[in-house]
Amino acid sequence: MNDVLIIGSGLGGLACGTLLAGRGLKVLVLESSNQPGGCMQSFRRGGLHYDTGLHYVGGLAPGQTMHKAFSQLGLMDLPWQRMDEQFDRVIIGGRHFAFSQGYDAFAEGLAKDFPHQREALFGFVHRLQHITAADMEVSAYDYLRQTFSDELLLNVVSAAAMKTELRRESLPLFNFAHTCSSFIESSWRLKGDGNLLVNKLIGSIQQAGGKVLTGSKVVRLTEKDGRIVSAVCADGQTYEAEYFISDIHPATLCRMLEDCPSVRKAFRRRMAAAENTCGMFTAQLSIKPDALPYFAHNVFVYDKPNVWTMTEENEPVKGVMISARMPENDSDSLRQIDLLTPMPWHECEAWADTKVGHRGDDYQSFCRNKAQQCIALAEQYIPQLGELIEQCYTSSPLTYRDYLGSPEGSAFGMRKDCRVPMLSFHSVSTPLPNLLLTGQSIILPGIEGVTMTAFETCSKIA
Amino acid sequence: MTREEIIAEINAELAEEFEIDEATITPDAPIYQTLELDSLSLVDLIGIVQTKYGVLISKAELPTIKTFAQLYDYIEQHQK
Repeated sequence: MNDVLIIGSGLGGLACGTLLAGRGLKVLVLESSNQPGGCMQSFRRGGLHYDTGLHYVGGLAPGQTMHKAFSQLGLMDLPWQRMDEQFDRVIIGGRHFAFSQGYDAFAEGLAKDFPHQREALFGFVHRLQHITAADMEVSAYDYLRQTFSDELLLNVVSAAAMKTELRRESLPLFNFAHTCSSFIESSWRLKGDGNLLVNKLIGSIQQAGGKVLTGSKVVRLTEKDGRIVSAVCADGQTYEAEYFISDIHPATLCRMLEDCPSVRKAFRRRMAAAENTCGMFTAQLSIKPDALPYFAHNVFVYDKPNVWTMTEENEPVKGVMISARMPENDSDSLRQIDLLTPMPWHECEAWADTKVGHRGDDYQSFCRNKAQQCIALAEQYIPQLGELIEQCYTSSPLTYRDYLGSPEGSAFGMRKDCRVPMLSFHSVSTPLPNLLLTGQSIILPGIEGVTMTAFETCSKIA
Repeated sequence: MTREEIIAEINAELAEEFEIDEATITPDAPIYQTLELDSLSLVDLIGIVQTKYGVLISKAELPTIKTFAQLYDYIEQHQK
């Protein structure tokens, strides 16, 4: 029998698997799709690897936020490359700004553009370094409004937080700060694709005697005497374990618990009714060889200072993140660029009943149009980008939903709401003592959030 | 909503959601024991009250709600 059975092989599931296998426990990871990794997985088109969710990671230098966690997971062995000192660049309404690595350098850099807000900037970076659980109840937007009297600066410091859902009425300061802080400490890109990270974690699990099975879709969990005893898969296979960890969306998990008497309707309905964050639209571009020098920074381009409200407005695309992929052949030129922009579910709801590859011409045309809008914005930083493109692959929340099982294609899982923190931040525990939760929906999304949540989940297993 | 309407509605809802016999819900009955609440399912109770009446029971006031009558009072006083 297994000590721990993990449902889902996203970063959270594999991190839990690695930590627990490292403790000598027998781990089995079951992944419903044919490829492990969830948002960390990459895919290959035309000889190039494209990532789904991995763009950059923060705080990997010794002593910083993520270094210890990644060391324990064996991930510091991977070829991380530090990004430019000015790791994030921001363009709003044609004006250029830069984020520097290091809290003081960050504040000092922006104070050159906003000398009248110098004190506020240093107060801001001080606050980022002293975030506590009490900040789950603080509105990020209200805090920023109170801190910065300059509306443009408020937008500038928020511009790179496209890594979470910027929603004025709900986003807690706790989440906003975690989205920014580790990247300001130091920012890193992986030389290679996300599968390097996935394979490293799987290798650690296997080396310790554990297994990762793909194409194994769990459909039901069985309870006996107040504990989960087995997971039943769609192919009829049943797996037993002492502990179970869910790295899938909690609403999906609750559908597997319908026959469990210890899980009352109140819990299942609360999880099912929770709101999800918005999705993302991505245009992944392959660039003609030797046409564009590689740049080791991200660029966030906005038409105007409406960083917090742009998804409330309809088309065209108002803001885009430009992420260049590091060349793996040590060339000075890049071959790939990702353009990302937030995309609410309602924009693609018309095709909700369609499947991958069969969404119809109108969907293709919608995606082409949206990609063109992203490219047009990106041309504020890379002139004539459109002429340098060989291929453009697009993905929408529908793609995330169908490949990753994320309800409504949500990019950051269940929404956190500073007005109801008790209801939107979740415990890793469940009504069943040997069933635990992990992943981006529980406490915090992103690589940092999911990794930290995995440590919290594993702390519950003696 | 009148107090009587709140009582009828919330009793039925809590019996359904917490899978207990509605007859065990009386004004003076202890809410924690009757609904078999622990720290996790307490959040479910807060969620039901918030969703149904738009009333958020604050952390500070939670300890003052020990019986169903006190829950009815709280909803009645805070409903929008």
